[in-house]
Amino acid sequence: MATPTYDLLDSTTLASSASSVTFTSIDQSYGDLVVVIDSKGTSTTAIYSYYNSDFTNANYSYVNMTTLGASPSSNTASNPFVGFEGSSLGQSLSLLHIMDYSATDKHKSYLCRNNLPDLLTQAIAGRWSNSSAVSSVTLQLSSGNLVSGSTFYLYGIAK
Amino acid sequence: MAAISFKRSSLEDFNKYNSLLVGNEFTPPPADSSYDLLETTTLTSSTSSVTFSGLGSYTDYKHLQIRMVTRSTDSTGDDGVVAQINSDTGSNYAYHGLFGTGSIIGSYAVTSASNPLLFTTANANNATDSFGVGVVDLLDFSSTSKNTTARNLGGSTETNPSIRLTSFVHLNTSAVTSVTLLLQSGTNFVAGSRFSLYGIK
Repeated sequence: MATPTYDLLDSTTLASSASSVTFTSIDQSYGDLVVVIDSKGTSTTAIYSYYNSDFTNANYSYVNMTTLGASPSSNTASNPFVGFEGSSLGQSLSLLHIMDYSATDKHKSYLCRNNLPDLLTQAIAGRWSNSSAVSSVTLQLSSGNLVSGSTFYLYGIAK
Repeated sequence: MAAISFKRSSLEDFNKYNSLLVGNEFTPPPADSSYDLLETTTLTSSTSSVTFSGLGSYTDYKHLQIRMVTRSTDSTGDDGVVAQINSDTGSNYAYHGLFGTGSIIGSYAVTSASNPLLFTTANANNATDSFGVGVVDLLDFSSTSKNTTARNLGGSTETNPSIRLTSFVHLNTSAVTSVTLLLQSGTNFVAGSRFSLYGIK
């Protein structure tokens, strides 16, 4: 039997700048989470996504592919990079899929698509090296504050 | 013939549903669901393939999405998740991919293929609890007037990391009644691998 899903679980629109946004006490009855970030800003600073307050970058890894102007590239690194804050020309959009977030038998893998339309388009596969269920997601910049007017939405997808 | 006013027409209450497909820009889904979970298979033992059959009963939906969390028992190198439509094992597919491995970014095109590659997944060379992930959109799957097309975003990290944006076409205009997912290596998906099928109206 079909089960309606893709449910809005939480959302935040920043009324003033903030060091981070955290979704806590996440409902564990879904299979995947989708986080939608529409980030304003001017510096294109990296956005990180930490789980369960584990702020140790070495516990995260990712591989990306990026079109930056006419120069495509691919990189790996050990941190929870999922996108950028906006540039002076426009906001940045990130669509983050955290797969099997409530499972306890696997590391948490994620996919992300970023668009900073005046600068780049990007795709990311990443992993948090921890098998715990994800009960909180913290979004913050690698340095500095998230900018007022940025929006953050959290959805649950049943499995 | 009486004129139909705009107020009574569908112009008044249109919705954008394309955002539910991976890779598109985002628009929040409507309150009345157009995105439904249809089936899920979570493996309790290692298995060589997973098939969603009987898709002909889902013609209320326009598109299908498959969300996967997978790991292979293979240990010989990279392993990829591939797809077959309607149990067609012939060389009746073509696919393209854009990929990044951390050190290389590239693209490929394959014609006359029998197993279109969706993404490279984790395998026995990776940490025990490491899995690959993929999200596949199968578009207009019940059409009988066009070849079936699909697209995917997927990847994995660690020993052989990769992120792939791929698409394939099944050179057949039959409606899709089954989708089989299997591994390029011919080995097994491990227990705990998960495959969920969604319908999009």
